[in-house]
Amino acid sequence: MGELLTQPLSWGSFLTFALMAIVLLLVILFMVTYAIYAERKILGYMQSRIGPNRTGKFGLLQTPADVLKLLIKEDTIPQKADRPLFKIAPIISFVPSFVVLATIPYSENMYFANLDIGVLYYVALSGLSTIGIVLGGWASNNKYSLIGGMRSAAQLVSYAIPLVISAVGVVLMSGTMNLMAIVERQSGWFWNWNFIPQILAFVVFVISAIAELNRTPFDLPEAESELVAGYHVEYSGFRFAIYMLTEYVYMIAMSALITTLFFGGWHAPAPFLEFIPGFIWFLLKFCGVFFFIIWLRGTMPRIRIDQLMSLGWRVLLPLSLANIFVTAIVMEIIKAING
Amino acid sequence: MALRTEELLLNVGPQHPSTHGVFRIVVKIDGEIIKEATPVMGYLHRGTEKLAENLNYTQIIPYTDRMDYVSAMTNNYVLVSAVEKLMQLEVPERAEFLRVIVMELQRIASHLLWWGTYLLDIGAMSPFLFAFRDREMIIEMFNELCGARLTYFYMRVGGVKWDAPDGWIQKVRDFVPYMRERMKVYDDLVSGNEIFLARIKGVGRYDAQTAIDYGLSGANLRCTGVKRDLRKDHPYSVYDRFEFDVPTRTEGDCYARYLIRLEEIKESLRILEQAVEMFPEGPVMAKVPRVIRPPEGEVYSRVESPRGEIGCYVVSKGKDSPYRLKFRRPSFVNLQILPKLLVGESITNLITILGATDIVVGEVDA
Amino acid sequence: MKGLVKGLGVTLRNMTKKKVTYKYPDEPMKMPNRFRGVQHFEPEKCIVCNQCARICPTECITLTGKKNPDPESKVKLVIDTFDLNFEICILCDLCTEVCPTEAIVMTNNFELAAYSRDELFKDKEWLTANNTNVREENNVSLLKAKKGGAE
Repeated sequence: MGELLTQPLSWGSFLTFALMAIVLLLVILFMVTYAIYAERKILGYMQSRIGPNRTGKFGLLQTPADVLKLLIKEDTIPQKADRPLFKIAPIISFVPSFVVLATIPYSENMYFANLDIGVLYYVALSGLSTIGIVLGGWASNNKYSLIGGMRSAAQLVSYAIPLVISAVGVVLMSGTMNLMAIVERQSGWFWNWNFIPQILAFVVFVISAIAELNRTPFDLPEAESELVAGYHVEYSGFRFAIYMLTEYVYMIAMSALITTLFFGGWHAPAPFLEFIPGFIWFLLKFCGVFFFIIWLRGTMPRIRIDQLMSLGWRVLLPLSLANIFVTAIVMEIIKAING
Repeated sequence: MALRTEELLLNVGPQHPSTHGVFRIVVKIDGEIIKEATPVMGYLHRGTEKLAENLNYTQIIPYTDRMDYVSAMTNNYVLVSAVEKLMQLEVPERAEFLRVIVMELQRIASHLLWWGTYLLDIGAMSPFLFAFRDREMIIEMFNELCGARLTYFYMRVGGVKWDAPDGWIQKVRDFVPYMRERMKVYDDLVSGNEIFLARIKGVGRYDAQTAIDYGLSGANLRCTGVKRDLRKDHPYSVYDRFEFDVPTRTEGDCYARYLIRLEEIKESLRILEQAVEMFPEGPVMAKVPRVIRPPEGEVYSRVESPRGEIGCYVVSKGKDSPYRLKFRRPSFVNLQILPKLLVGESITNLITILGATDIVVGEVDA
Repeated sequence: MKGLVKGLGVTLRNMTKKKVTYKYPDEPMKMPNRFRGVQHFEPEKCIVCNQCARICPTECITLTGKKNPDPESKVKLVIDTFDLNFEICILCDLCTEVCPTEAIVMTNNFELAAYSRDELFKDKEWLTANNTNVREENNVSLLKAKKGGAE
């Protein structure tokens, strides 16, 4: 893949890129289908019940059945809604979550783009999906979805900041924003992985990531057994399916990013296990992070909106700033001792 | 340039996942703060009290099941005890013990349902399923005893309908230690959870004088420090033979009510243990005439249901159906504090407070 | 933090425990013996005393009788039509409690869903044919008489 990227663009390589992008899209759609199935099964097992098991063997066809139901529903648009914005909001929300998957290195040879500003590109694009949510809330012409959309916009913006600042700690330690290089610096035994020296950044990053994903315990915009149904109340059928798709693709992307930044990407926990291909290790760690996010959903209650804001600004932000200072000081001390 | 703001009129319900039935609150909000809240009741009114004027006393008992469908046994008991008081009937001991065992099991089932649904409103999904799993064991026991899972129609004037089948008492005896273990699991899962505590502590506070003025009862009253439980203050049935405590707390907020209800489950388990040990032999139904005709008079009988004090006022003119039957339903009275309590709270706290009041809309509207 | 971790431990441990889902439509659900399900009617035993129609709290039983064609038997009336309106029957089993001959008894069947309301108005033939899972203990006073006053 790397050689293809460095050559000048020709029709052949363009077609290869387009084909690989389509393959990635199909793979991600397949993963989302089974991510939804896995979530329902895991939540069921945590609650002493079997999850779906009637459609298809072991319930494997449950998500395709749900998607089929959503696709054949009537496409309703509220009468006074802003039609162009209403139609485009889910797309604006979905595209960034898919595009960021291009920058993540899945193994030494399996990557789509090797950007030198990988981390910055990732967080910049993930901020764009906030616009899709606000647009969806506004374009529905519904007081309650506007309130829900504003609330979720506030949540996403306030938690994007600790997300970025805690990632800066990792960048400081690795000296580069290139995701490939960050992973390469974590080779060796598992205590080289970034989550141990950067434990504070790791905790802050995971909490902010879950808030960015609108998952329990931060799922105020979504579950809303309280008041309004949030920004997607007026969406039905396929447009709603796109919002749900966004959520799960973003979950996959965020889990992949956490694996890359903190768990050593495709490296094995010990050097003698390196014979197992890197992609398998990536998949295992990614599944672990994904399971953790689902596990949280099955256990935690929801945080109230004012407590959420005060948690984001008054706890996570100072902690991540403190992390940067401590990292910088420790790195200077180590440099002074060594040289 | 001054910013012009308006108050928003919002309808919570009648269809809403968190109002526990068809119940509506009309709130005026300014941003996130509630300025005024008006509950609107009556969506589930079925005319029980009026229908009762044309029915036999035995025929009214299935209607009482359906009033507070979550704790049907206490409803059956309040009507039956009122008629028995009027007729001055002596109920056999075994029947009274069966009644106590069944009512305490019902209290545990009702509190479990409350716990599960309250946590579902707050956002946690798993406790709901855990609670229903344990409640299923109680419901299965009731199914074996009287043939129904929710609307039992078990008590009759003068006793109970069925005697306990073989092995049933042993099942109750085995249930008590099982439930004690599960209470520890529930405490681990929820009661120490910091997010949950931050949501609940300090919310919906009121003091003892307000509670007494509004006529609250049950856990809503005991959370303010007033130690009042009808099973101890005006003992009915055979409750004076058992040893149990009445949990009380002084903070007066939602957390206090939560803890009190969990403690009440533990106290009910104590009563169950003692009742099963002292279980006597004998008949389960007194000698009652075929048609129940209480003498002329009026009587008010009250019982401690899981929600508070439920009362039944019967006016009889000597016929086989009552002249007037009135139920004092605890959820209806406990709701009256809502307009005062909700002013100044945010919308998210509305659901927390409503859940902690533990209402069942079938009882609010009768 | 400690409370959160304990809660996570509870859900994780619960994943390995036995599941409690019933395989309901595939396997029938067995109800205990005293379960109050749909009624079963035996016309030969009925003496048309009208007790069930009178005691029903919702008045869902309507019945008519005719003169017994058999002049020798002691029973004056036999049952002609017997209708039960399951839209309003609350399955309270008062009718089985008062029937002196146990002509109407309850079964343990509970599946009564239908596609139209007319199907819920069951007549004598249907109630006679509904004879699976019949409950054994029905009328408590007859039960005492049968068992000689025990219990």
